[in-house]
Amino acid sequence: MLSFLLPQRVKLLGLLIAAGVVAAVAALGWQVAELGAQRYAIGGWGAPLGIDLYADGLSLLMLMVNAVVCLGVSVYSTGYFNRAYFRRSRAIYFWPLWMFLWAALNALFLSSDIFNLYVTLELLGLSAVALVALAGGADALTSAMRYLLINLLGSLFYLLGVALLYHRFGSLDITILSQHIEPSPAVWVAMGLMTSGLLLKTALFPMHFWLPAAHASAPAPVSALLSALVVKASFYIFLRLWLEIFPVDSSVFGELLGVLGAIAIFWGGVQALRQTRLKMLIAYSTVAQLGYLFLAFPMASYFAWKGALFILLSHALAKTAMFMAAGNILHFGGHDRIQDFDHVVQYQPLTSAAFALAGISIMGLPPSGGFIGKWLLLEAAINSGQWWLVIIIIMGGLLAAAYIFKVIGYAFTQSRKSHQTRRVPIRMEWTALILAIAAILLGLIAPWPLAIMDIGLPFSGEAAG
Amino acid sequence: MEAMTSLPLMTLMQLLFDTLLGFALLWLGWRALASPDLFQAIVLFIAFGLLMAIVWVRLDAPDVALAEAAIGAGLTGALLLTTLARLEAKNRSKSALEKKHKVWLMTENVKLKTASFLWLMVILMLLVSGLVYAVLTLQEQTFELQMLVSKNLESSGVSNPVTAVLLNFRGYDTLLEMSVLLLALLGVWSFGGIPKPHESLPGPVLNMLSRLLIPLLIIVAGYFLWVGSDAPGGAFQGGSVLGAAGVLLLLVGWRLCIRFVGLPLRIILVFGLGVFVSAAVVLIFLGRQFMEYPPSVAGALILLIEAAATLSIGITLAALFLVGRPEFRRHK
Amino acid sequence: MNTLYLYTIVGVGLFTLGLYALLIHSDLLRKILAINIMGSGVFLILVALAARTQGAVPDPVPHAMVITGIVVAVSATALALALVIRVRTKVGHANLPEQSLE
Repeated sequence: MLSFLLPQRVKLLGLLIAAGVVAAVAALGWQVAELGAQRYAIGGWGAPLGIDLYADGLSLLMLMVNAVVCLGVSVYSTGYFNRAYFRRSRAIYFWPLWMFLWAALNALFLSSDIFNLYVTLELLGLSAVALVALAGGADALTSAMRYLLINLLGSLFYLLGVALLYHRFGSLDITILSQHIEPSPAVWVAMGLMTSGLLLKTALFPMHFWLPAAHASAPAPVSALLSALVVKASFYIFLRLWLEIFPVDSSVFGELLGVLGAIAIFWGGVQALRQTRLKMLIAYSTVAQLGYLFLAFPMASYFAWKGALFILLSHALAKTAMFMAAGNILHFGGHDRIQDFDHVVQYQPLTSAAFALAGISIMGLPPSGGFIGKWLLLEAAINSGQWWLVIIIIMGGLLAAAYIFKVIGYAFTQSRKSHQTRRVPIRMEWTALILAIAAILLGLIAPWPLAIMDIGLPFSGEAAG
Repeated sequence: MEAMTSLPLMTLMQLLFDTLLGFALLWLGWRALASPDLFQAIVLFIAFGLLMAIVWVRLDAPDVALAEAAIGAGLTGALLLTTLARLEAKNRSKSALEKKHKVWLMTENVKLKTASFLWLMVILMLLVSGLVYAVLTLQEQTFELQMLVSKNLESSGVSNPVTAVLLNFRGYDTLLEMSVLLLALLGVWSFGGIPKPHESLPGPVLNMLSRLLIPLLIIVAGYFLWVGSDAPGGAFQGGSVLGAAGVLLLLVGWRLCIRFVGLPLRIILVFGLGVFVSAAVVLIFLGRQFMEYPPSVAGALILLIEAAATLSIGITLAALFLVGRPEFRRHK
Repeated sequence: MNTLYLYTIVGVGLFTLGLYALLIHSDLLRKILAINIMGSGVFLILVALAARTQGAVPDPVPHAMVITGIVVAVSATALALALVIRVRTKVGHANLPEQSLE
């Protein structure tokens, strides 16, 4: 599951590896489901000395959604990077960079060592930056540059936190740290540092400013990945640290995160509504959807965590489908100005269906995955009597509905200007559609992922609270 | 008895030395960031790196000192200088329109509003005081982990604890780290070809010097690699010295024969990582854990991996210096 | 308390100095320098704390971490510099446009 990268830059090889990794994840999934959380000591040294890999329900779910999305993106890319005008000299670099990114994600979701996580974060960040820059335009390069600086800054904050934790407790392993942790100034400062670094990478309001440009200017499959998975990776680390290492009685801090999340939902929603370019709209929608993930922190209850995780999963699938659909539309008409859409529904029925279905999940209508996630969050909010959260969740859904219908509305109408159009490879349309359907299906098979979350559950202890 | 009398003096000297070094470091860092001339800033940065290396020695971290001197100061500095040269070259070639931007390049400060500046200061002050407080409250202690390292040192196959941690106990980190390095090169290449290599013929001094230095550097690289198992040194230090030799070669205008630029170069680049991964995977088939080196052959295995890694790291670093992909010319 | 804490404080200083420079400079090359100096600050804290127990052999784990960190830093720097050159060719100048935080 590491990067088995060889100099051959062949699509076939890429697809083979993709299939292999999916199979490996499936095997691991079976193992975790049957035997419970797994721990693997690399080099046979065991935790304090060596590095452990650790897979529980949380990491398994991340790996699975990762595998589904990445497989989708791999198939989609065989079409996308085939285009005549995408220079071959650039396109051949897509596959190795992409494999590095995927390997980094897998390594990240499996690691249980905070320094190892730092290295995977860097691997992830650098490959993501290189992929954004692949688009090659002035916009893409500038936003790639900013993205790189943000990434490095976030990593350094994180690393400084790691340094303090190590020197306080003498271990880098998450499980061992969680057994020894006790409040002290060093822990508080480390917590602050790591939190700011990771949240910067997760683009929580007000640290989201870099996200829309970077996500919108990248090539379509890359945008899909960035929005669907890369921001979630730092969120995943943050969640792990929060649940396992940091002292739990930090409710003021949780409230603050919740408020920031709420602002993100509003701000992202309103900004998305104001955008005139489709990809920018989708990118702002990501800012809003990330806000939901942080609503769970003030509640910190069993349902809230599950709800946030469920939103994370369904958003990953739906957002990938959306960016792919946007890529298809962009490729078809040569632009993504929402107002100038010309009978998109007629020409690209599959793509439009994908966009609409993904939209249902983003809005949180039943029976989609997004609905289940929001429902769980609502339930948690009502249970804990935090009514302001209820209002925010509902308002956020309405805003999402507004911006998605804006796009769909224009997709039906005729444009005043006519455009040159190009054929889109059919598999690019199908991949988008299948991922969108998966996002809906996630709602129908909800009990299953919810059960997986319970394996080696990091938040079971707080179920009562 | 002698020790009793000389101790306070020694401590005082030490304190003086530490204070001076600390302040010099801060001063150089500040100057490197604030100097109005970019070239000067980079030179100061290199000096800063060398001073860091001295600090590492003072802190009993010779391995880090070697890595810092070779990579932190040497190669990063070379990279910065060559980038600056390229940026400047473009600056000169472009005309009036660029004048304004040149001013931008040279004088850098964005004018911050007083209010936001104050806010920034407050936040930074909070950060500093928080950090200093956190650091000062850490007690002196020795951890179990450190004992574990020394206890298991024997079965790791090497006697330099840092190498043991890097290549054996936490070898997985190093594996990923080499991936980062390779990835950086891939990323750089993906940006496109070398932007107009402006060739300047090297002067006779550089030419002479490089003839002497390159073989020497290669030998030093080999030496670092060899002693890495029980003295300061190792794959990264050796690799970076090899990289320096490569940079020197590139500076005197030597280019790889086109024939080698394609596949052979790429194979060398992934060689280190490849050996590392294959060694780890083969061990799985031999019934061990991923990367679990049997103590009896661990030393040899680590040396093998390090040798491959040194080669790849050296070539990768030298290739990074080109700041772009060597052009492939296909004759078909 | 021993003098090695002095280096830790210098590390904190370097980190903050780098952060400050990163935020106020708009020139990309300077931002990269600033990131590197921030990194040196972090490394210094790591290693200085490793040597803080007097008389004992310093802990090798942070040393290994710093070596890893240095290599990661040079990789990131190389990528960043190549990107600067590309930005310069495409956009015409080597600094980021003003970004509004809202």
